[in-house]
Amino acid sequence: MSHSKARHVVDARFLPPPEPFVQTMEMLDTLPDGERMLLLLYREPHPLYKVLDQNGYSRATELQPDGTFEILIWR
Amino acid sequence: MQALLSFDKAPPFAAPARFFLTAPLFLLAAALVLLASGPELLESRWSPALVAVTHLVTVGFMLMVMCGALIQILPVVAGANLAEPLGTARWLHAGLTGGALALAAALASGEQRFLAGAAGLLGAVVAGFLWAAGRPLFAVASTSPTIRGLKIALAGLAVATAAGCLIAVAVALGWPLPHALPDLVDLHAGWALGAWGGVLLAAMAYVVVPMFQLTPGYPARPGWLFPPLVLGLAVLWAVGAGFQMPFWVRVAQGATALAGIAFAALTLRLQSRRRRARADATLRCWQVALVATLLALLMLLASAVHPALGEHPRWAVLGGVLLIVGGYVSFITGMLYKIVPFLAWLHLQNCGAGVSSASRILADRPMLAQTRVHALAVFLLAAACLWPEWLARPAGFVLASASAWMFANLAGAMRRYRELAAAGGGR
Repeated sequence: MSHSKARHVVDARFLPPPEPFVQTMEMLDTLPDGERMLLLLYREPHPLYKVLDQNGYSRATELQPDGTFEILIWR
Repeated sequence: MQALLSFDKAPPFAAPARFFLTAPLFLLAAALVLLASGPELLESRWSPALVAVTHLVTVGFMLMVMCGALIQILPVVAGANLAEPLGTARWLHAGLTGGALALAAALASGEQRFLAGAAGLLGAVVAGFLWAAGRPLFAVASTSPTIRGLKIALAGLAVATAAGCLIAVAVALGWPLPHALPDLVDLHAGWALGAWGGVLLAAMAYVVVPMFQLTPGYPARPGWLFPPLVLGLAVLWAVGAGFQMPFWVRVAQGATALAGIAFAALTLRLQSRRRRARADATLRCWQVALVATLLALLMLLASAVHPALGEHPRWAVLGGVLLIVGGYVSFITGMLYKIVPFLAWLHLQNCGAGVSSASRILADRPMLAQTRVHALAVFLLAAACLWPEWLARPAGFVLASASAWMFANLAGAMRRYRELAAAGGGR
């Protein structure tokens, strides 16, 4: 799945916890240098934010009208 | 990166667990009082015993779970970490337990000095919680409707508690009240069940309904709007009461009811589009809660339009039963049935004693069975408001059974957690 903001997308909107966290970690492990990934979720993932911050990732979050949080992640 | 699944910054499970295990016992106590008192308990909202029982449920059950859950959930949904979660949990749990028992005893007995002391104790405990939770929460930006809602809910709790303490101390010490007591009590209840309970429920629903019931998300615009709207209406209600303008009080009540109806209808619509095909206990609890809440809010709307309806002594009792036991207790039970097994599972992962799924800690069958008994209790309680001579004691018996069963389910989950943690060498 791709998106206008990034080629690498985890659409975790209908996944039960902790799948969104697990799938995001798996994608980050294989994300090529210089590329971005996009996480789609119906909530802000604060525990994930903490992990990203601790590991030197940058992120930008945008709330869409349908309630989707689009979280763009890059290093 | 996999190692970072560790949840080492999360509050220990013992922090919220004590609240979740104590709360059903307060519900059981309320049910036993109904069983012992019989029909006269439901005759009028002003009977001391009913006021006491109401606070056993609203403080002993609702506030107990809400505060305990916030200690655990604030870091997860808002990125706000309490400085000492376990230490806070210890004094808060002791204070809420003692305060709820003392307040109920004082209200039931009519011992006025005792009432002032109990209200003062509870007020101090809630103030301490507001300080402990509010400091980290207000330090984070309102980047989501949930965070904005949580901040507004804490403001609602502060006003509701202050109003309750003021009423209790004034009654106890014989201070002159600025307005009629029923108007002030309505205002206290409106802030407690609307600006605190209703806004907190919505703020949490934005996260937990899509997360646990696999529904679409709440649309952003109404999500941002609902918390400040309810707060604004609560302020309008207070101003209307303060300046003796009953028309504006009715406008505020009616608009609050309409906002709540819209929220409940939206939640039912989202649930109808859920991806999880199987109806679990949480979904059933929320369906009971949403239907009961809709009925209670329709009653509030009707009495705002036709005030004569609200003057019937059983009208307010029925509305309160539907909103508090049918609505809030059911919402909270549904959340407990997701949060307790999930937190136990999460902490077991962290201590190296992982289990395949949360359902191994608390299976769905006993939760569903308890939910059915609770739904029957709600139905009987509502009917008992209309035919108390026939149904008050049966309703009390069924509610007591449901409460004891809820305690047994949650205690069983805690026991299973401890066994698995011990087997895995965890904390």
